[in-house]
Amino acid sequence: MTDPEFRELVRGWLAAHLPASLVGAGGPGREHELVAERLAWERELGAAGWIGLGWPEVDGGRGLPWEQQAIFYEEYARAGGPGRAGHIGEQLLGPTLLMFGTASQKARFLPGILAGTAIWCQGYSEPDAGSDLAGLRTRASLGPDGQWHIHGQKVWTSLAQFADWCFVLARTSASSSRHHGLSYLLVPMKQPGVTVRPIVQLTGTSEFNEVFFDDAVCAADDVVGEAGDGWRVALGTLGVERGVSTFGQQLGFAREFSSVLSLARSSGVAEDPVVAARLTDSWIGLQVLRLTSEAAFGGDGESFGGVEANIVRLLWASWHQRLGELAVDVSGADSTVCGPSYELSDAQRLFLFTRADTIYGGSSEIQRNIIAERGLGLPRG
Amino acid sequence: MSVADTPEQAALRSALRDLLGRGLGGDALWKRLTGELGVAGLAVPAAYGGAGAGLAEIAIAVEETGRVLAPVPYLSTALAGHVLGLSEFSPGIADGSLRAAFVFSGSVAEGRVSGHAANVIDGSSADLFVVACEDSLWVVRARDARVTPLDTLDQTRSQAAVEFVSCAAVPVGGVSRDTAEDLFRVLLAVESAAAAQHCLDVTVAYLKTRTQFGRVLGSFQALRHRCADLAVEVASARATARAAVAGDPWLLGPLAKKYCADVFLHVAAEMIQLHGGIGFTWEHEAHRYLKRAKTTQLLLGSPDSLRRLVAARAGLY
Repeated sequence: MTDPEFRELVRGWLAAHLPASLVGAGGPGREHELVAERLAWERELGAAGWIGLGWPEVDGGRGLPWEQQAIFYEEYARAGGPGRAGHIGEQLLGPTLLMFGTASQKARFLPGILAGTAIWCQGYSEPDAGSDLAGLRTRASLGPDGQWHIHGQKVWTSLAQFADWCFVLARTSASSSRHHGLSYLLVPMKQPGVTVRPIVQLTGTSEFNEVFFDDAVCAADDVVGEAGDGWRVALGTLGVERGVSTFGQQLGFAREFSSVLSLARSSGVAEDPVVAARLTDSWIGLQVLRLTSEAAFGGDGESFGGVEANIVRLLWASWHQRLGELAVDVSGADSTVCGPSYELSDAQRLFLFTRADTIYGGSSEIQRNIIAERGLGLPRG
Repeated sequence: MSVADTPEQAALRSALRDLLGRGLGGDALWKRLTGELGVAGLAVPAAYGGAGAGLAEIAIAVEETGRVLAPVPYLSTALAGHVLGLSEFSPGIADGSLRAAFVFSGSVAEGRVSGHAANVIDGSSADLFVVACEDSLWVVRARDARVTPLDTLDQTRSQAAVEFVSCAAVPVGGVSRDTAEDLFRVLLAVESAAAAQHCLDVTVAYLKTRTQFGRVLGSFQALRHRCADLAVEVASARATARAAVAGDPWLLGPLAKKYCADVFLHVAAEMIQLHGGIGFTWEHEAHRYLKRAKTTQLLLGSPDSLRRLVAARAGLY
């Protein structure tokens, strides 16, 4: 199928199936919205074969080239598709199992992700292990019952309230330290030993959670890679996160920019040359972001020193944050007032939520470390 | 889109890098570039003594000559070969005997060209001027124009003030003034991105060897993070410039020129800062990049005027 034909197919399917009530729901800053409907939508996407587009066909995916994956994300964003509840499974756990999983693990876990019926969350960060992931303390040991018993606390866990499973990085060797002796465990969330507590963010809403493991259990076989080899597996997950979904994300950015521009035009502040310059610089930045992403993900990445995902990540996070500032600035004093019960406008939500863009999933400082070390070959301090 | 070269482009780049690394002066270098490598005529049809290649290949040569700030009128001459198509000047451009410069502010009446321009890039070495008059290009011989060479801040690229008073002119090609100017901007963007990459490479290499406080400077996080930010800027500038070569110069010409020149200036300024005192000396190459960057930024549209142009062409206001 040619790219334009594929685009028509995606567009047509979304037009016929995407419920109006879900348009624009559940994006960043709104992940708490319409949860049941979005879980149903995930199953509908799965049933129609829209999950795992880039996965190998032998593993149940569609084996599509990156261009068509990008087209799917673009059309999804253009149609206003809701924030995905299944993206952690599809984009993080799935690729990890494809890389490190046993045949039986793939057979057990991939179909649920592809069908949109199994929702995953990620158990990496801990209160004392944020950017320094090797400092994590959650422990797991094999009990006489032949299961892993897990004790500890994870934090910043998106989707934990309704996830079925969590992939947990835990220390499984008593004497281990740093990145040695960690294991990558697949843990059911719906069990007595797991407690989820939402974290109220500065937006007043809760996307993230704390997750407490108090003698939670998982099967002895549900360790990915060898026991004690979890660090290598976790790094592999970070490595496969190539970020083709950024093309859909950028269409969302374009829509956000358009609404900021309309706001500035209708209020007349766009006639201020300084505001006009900021708006134009923002638009130019968006074009540069797109062209850089195309070069980074479409090429072999050689010219980017193997750190293309980190470069694109830094670029979009700082661009988006500046757009958030522009969004509230063009509304001036109106931006200082919100609705009852701390109900935020789109501009306010953009301004506040984009503060997280430079923190989650590896802070901008960590991205710079990676670029300096792996891209430029500068020595560690 | 890939930023990687085709095998033919890689061979061209390698041959250029080899020649440009020999430290030849302006005239000797021009002879070798145009004779041995034939790069001035990359876009000139083969039947007219050129290589019959396109803007993508010219861009490779602009990257390589720009990377070392080669003091030759390559960009102007190669672009002339591209926009003039088949003309009586093609063989001369291809063999290096005709060096070109562009003037974007001419007017034509009864087949004769008038006008003046204050800052013509590569103007003092030009044998012919490509003069953009409204919707058409005309060629004026340098001997028919009043050419006043200028002393320039950037001593690696000449400029001249040029005046045409009802000069004999030859009409050429079907390229409009805007297109010629936008293509010139595309190539300045390409050159700026490549030169910025060079500044970053040299700076990173220096930080890996220079030791202070008992450590190499490149191990200090304050400096590592600055270099990482520069790497993001350079990567995005290169991607933008390459996209402009392959894309529509109407929008991407001014956009890429503004973005890449701004990045180049920032990286060149950081090159001086990160080298410390040695970066402030005449002997070190850093100042030449700073001067080229500022010159590029201010010619063919300042950042502010290009921002307005991009906004207008994108229909933002």
